[in-house]
Amino acid sequence: MRSTPRDINAVHDPAAATSRIQIRGLGKYFDELCVFDDIDLDVGSAEVVTLVGPSGCGKTTLLRCIDGLVAPSTGEVRIDGAPVVEPPEGVAVVFQHFGLFPWKTVFRNVAYGLRMAGVSRRAIAERVPAFIELVGLRGFENSYPYQLSGGMQQRAGLARALAVEPKVLLMDEPFGALDAQTREVLQFELLRIWDTRPTSMVFVTHSIDEAVLMGDRVVVLKGRPSTVHQVIDVDLARPRTRATTTDPRFHELREQVWNLVMSTPDDHNSVER
Amino acid sequence: MTTTTPTLGPAPAPAAARPVRRRRSSALLTYGASLLAGAAIWELAGHLIDPVFLVPFTDTVRRLGELVASGELPTALLASAQVFGAGLIIAVLVGLPAGLLLARVRFLRVGLEDWITGLYAMPMVALIPFILAIFGFGFTPKVIVVFLFAVFPVIITVYEGASSIPARHIEVARSFRARERHLWRDVVIPYTIPFAMTGIRLAIARALVGMIAAEFFLAVSGLGELILITSRRFDTAAVFATILVVCILGVLLLALGHALERRFAAWRGPS
Ligand SMILES: Nc1ncnc2c1ncn2[C@@H]1O[C@H](COP(=O)(O)OP(=O)(O)O)[C@@H](O)[C@H]1O
Ligand SMILES: [Mg+2]
Repeated sequence: MRSTPRDINAVHDPAAATSRIQIRGLGKYFDELCVFDDIDLDVGSAEVVTLVGPSGCGKTTLLRCIDGLVAPSTGEVRIDGAPVVEPPEGVAVVFQHFGLFPWKTVFRNVAYGLRMAGVSRRAIAERVPAFIELVGLRGFENSYPYQLSGGMQQRAGLARALAVEPKVLLMDEPFGALDAQTREVLQFELLRIWDTRPTSMVFVTHSIDEAVLMGDRVVVLKGRPSTVHQVIDVDLARPRTRATTTDPRFHELREQVWNLVMSTPDDHNSVER
Repeated sequence: MTTTTPTLGPAPAPAAARPVRRRRSSALLTYGASLLAGAAIWELAGHLIDPVFLVPFTDTVRRLGELVASGELPTALLASAQVFGAGLIIAVLVGLPAGLLLARVRFLRVGLEDWITGLYAMPMVALIPFILAIFGFGFTPKVIVVFLFAVFPVIITVYEGASSIPARHIEVARSFRARERHLWRDVVIPYTIPFAMTGIRLAIARALVGMIAAEFFLAVSGLGELILITSRRFDTAAVFATILVVCILGVLLLALGHALERRFAAWRGPS
């Protein structure tokens, strides 16, 4: 909610200069219902920001605004300085429901983003197998989603997003629909993949452990309407692996986020009022 | 990294194949037995009832052979097939895009939905006098009747299918910057194909009814004509033979419709 013109901002604000995603004064109403309000957030070009907050607090809606799938009611989102008004190039989403097209094979699902980006058939034939390999789905190119477990479907969803080599990845509780074990396997695989190709990532999750494990910063959303309640810097070294979860610092951070999430929602608001 | 993957996947398919085949062959046995029983009852009843009303199965089959040999049945069959085929094909070619447009274009939907459900609910036979008045006798009005019988189930099922596309599929496509024409290609049409096949199956059944109705009430021709003239001659065996042919045609065409439906709904997985 700054009043200075944006382009001047972009030149003079050092934080903005390095940030890939800029969210300023973002609010969303559905008729009377205000889902979130006055959200300011910057995400760096190789930074993972995790969003935690109770279900229904507007995390999915916020991601939709960042991707230009729905228009915000107030404020704006910029990616590389350009205001987002429709899904921008170079932004890929991984959905909680995997978002695979059930009538397409794994190969064609993974190829979908490339096809939409106008990549030639030959280049697709070359690049898709590499990404199928990357997520460990070799041999399942011709399977249909119904033939795959949830974990494998999300691997395909991940490959489809990665295949377009996005500069921004939006993850909407990507492992939320998976069983605990599969979820853990995929968390560490995603970390490994991210280390080889760091991107700007906004990662929505229900799980506090996951938020701390994946994020460089954890943003706690809270209140009605939701606002940014607190941002916690996660000073855990990368690459992060299974060993990270046994680090005492990991547990400290987890407790810290836990307490923020669990404290009575209206504490801070009521003091201010 | 993928210690979990090899154990999963489409492996169960071959294991399931054998019981399915056994079930299928036992179903065939039941099917055959029921056909035989039907023929036997027909035969018995035919000997007990006045031959003006009912002819035994064996006599019907013998008369069927004669009709085939004389060329009467093949000629009638060919004439009917032309009416049926032309009407059905036009109905499908019109019904598919009409249903899709209805689902995707708001003002069409709002303007036409009630008309179409109304026409679908209406017994088409009632329209035949109007068609006769406007188009007279000949091939075209008969094709129009078959078309009218067949087109509405296609429109309605395609429309209902295309309007039931889960919002998440559309959102995924939009997140990859799909425009409306890409949506049609990658989401709307593939999602709707199984519904279209159901519509076509329903259309086949109704086109058959439309065909006989047209051949009765417009310029008599084809199988309808054969039923009419043989019944006027009290050649009950020939009437039954022709009806038997229509029945067999119906069964075969519907089996084809079912096969189409199953083939194009494969991605839905076993339900
Ligand atoms: N298209 C919509 N129309 C009306 N209300 C909506 C719409 N989308 C989301 N909401 C409402 O906005 C709130 C936040 O939803 P959502 O962003 O899905 O939350 P989260 O992802 O945090 O669980 C919910 O109360 C939901 O009912
Ligand atoms: Mg959500």
